[in-house]
Amino acid sequence: METDQLISIDIFCNHYNVEYSFVQSLREVGLIDTVVVQEIQYIYLPQLQKLERMIRLHDDLDVNLEGIEVVQHLLKRVESMQDEIISLKNRLRLYESND
Amino acid sequence: MAFVDYYQILGIQKTASEKDIKAAYRKLARKYHPDVNPNDQEAQKKFQELNEANEVLSDPEKRKKYDQYGKDWEHGEEYEKARKARASSPNYGGGYSSGGGDNFSDFFESMFGGNSGFGGGGRSGRQTKFRGQDYQAEVHLTLTEAYETHKQTLNVNGKNIRITVPAGIENGQNIKIPGHGGPGSNGGPNGDLFITFSVANDERFKRLKNDLYLTADLDLYTAVLGGELIIETLSGKVKLPVKAETQNGNIVRLKGKGFPVYKQEGQFGDLYVTFNIKIPTDLTEKQKELFTELSKS
Repeated sequence: METDQLISIDIFCNHYNVEYSFVQSLREVGLIDTVVVQEIQYIYLPQLQKLERMIRLHDDLDVNLEGIEVVQHLLKRVESMQDEIISLKNRLRLYESND
Repeated sequence: MAFVDYYQILGIQKTASEKDIKAAYRKLARKYHPDVNPNDQEAQKKFQELNEANEVLSDPEKRKKYDQYGKDWEHGEEYEKARKARASSPNYGGGYSSGGGDNFSDFFESMFGGNSGFGGGGRSGRQTKFRGQDYQAEVHLTLTEAYETHKQTLNVNGKNIRITVPAGIENGQNIKIPGHGGPGSNGGPNGDLFITFSVANDERFKRLKNDLYLTADLDLYTAVLGGELIIETLSGKVKLPVKAETQNGNIVRLKGKGFPVYKQEGQFGDLYVTFNIKIPTDLTEKQKELFTELSKS
C-alpha cells in the first residue's frame, strides 16, 4: 500500500507537539480516520487541516472533546449552508437579470 | 494611527485583574476564533484585535507601559525608547489575519513593535508548530473566461502566483492553493491561499449551474412555416431546426451545448433557447392585404 498520502501518528504528534492520547481520543469518537499499515498507525494527509483545527480548538480555546465534536458538526452545517447560499444567490441572479 | 483602547476591546475595566483579562479574552476568542467563523473576515479582524489587546494587557510590563503612555502615544520620545527596547525581543509570526501582512495595528507597532509577537491565539507553554495564516483573494471572470480552462497570474502580497482556472468554475466558488498563504510559526508549514471566483453576468447567456439560457429572436415566417435558425453558442455556431407553428416563448433544449461541468472533462450542461418571435414591421400594402386574407381564412 502507498503511504505517500499518510502521515504516521508518531511523526504527527512529534511535529505538532501534541499528545498521542489526544489523537487517539479523536479517532475513538470518530472525528478522524486512521489506517494501520505494517503495524504503524497513520492519519490520512487530507485530514491534516481538520486535525490542526481541532488541536487549535482544544489548545487555544480550551474546548474539550465533546465540544470539538459539536463544533465540527456545526462547522459542517455552516459550510453546507454557505454552499447553498452561493447556489441560491446565483439562482436569484438569473431571475434578477431577467427583469 | 488612532489610539486603540485595549480595555474596551476586551470589554473590561482598567482595574481588571489578570484573571479577569484571561477570562474576557477566552470568552471573546471562543466567539471570534477564525476556526469557528469560516470565511468571516470581520471575525478574523476582531480576533486579531483581541489577540493584540490580550498580548498587551496580559503582560504586566506591557500593560504598565500601555497604561502609562497609551493615551499620549503621540509623545514620540517615550515611544522611541519603547521601540529601541523591543528591538531585541523574540520574534515569531503566525496568527490569523486575512489578506496577509501584519498582525498588529499601527498603534501596537508604535508602542511595542510588530515583531514582539504572539502566535496561535494566546497559547502558552508548548511551542506547537502551526501552519501560517490563510490568505484570501478574489478573481473576477467573464462568463466566456469561465467557459474554458485557462491560466492566470495573480499577485498576492507581492508574489506572482500562476494558477490554472478549470473550466466550469461557478460564481462564488472557492479553490485552495496549498502552501501559498502566510509562513508557518515555529517551523510549521505555510498557510493556504483561498481564491474566490466572481463570474460576471453575461448579456446574452444566463447560467444556472451547468445549464445556459438564451433568448433568440425568431422571425414570424420561420415560426409559422418552420425552418432553421443559427444560434451562436459559447462553443460556436449551431444550426437549430425550427418546427412549424412554433409559439412565442417556446423553449428548446440543445443537449451538451451548455457550460462545462467543473473538473469533468468532456461533460457539458445543456443550452435552453427561448424563442422570441418578432412581428414584422413596415409592411407593404400587399403584405397587409395578405395578412388580412389570412385573418379571414
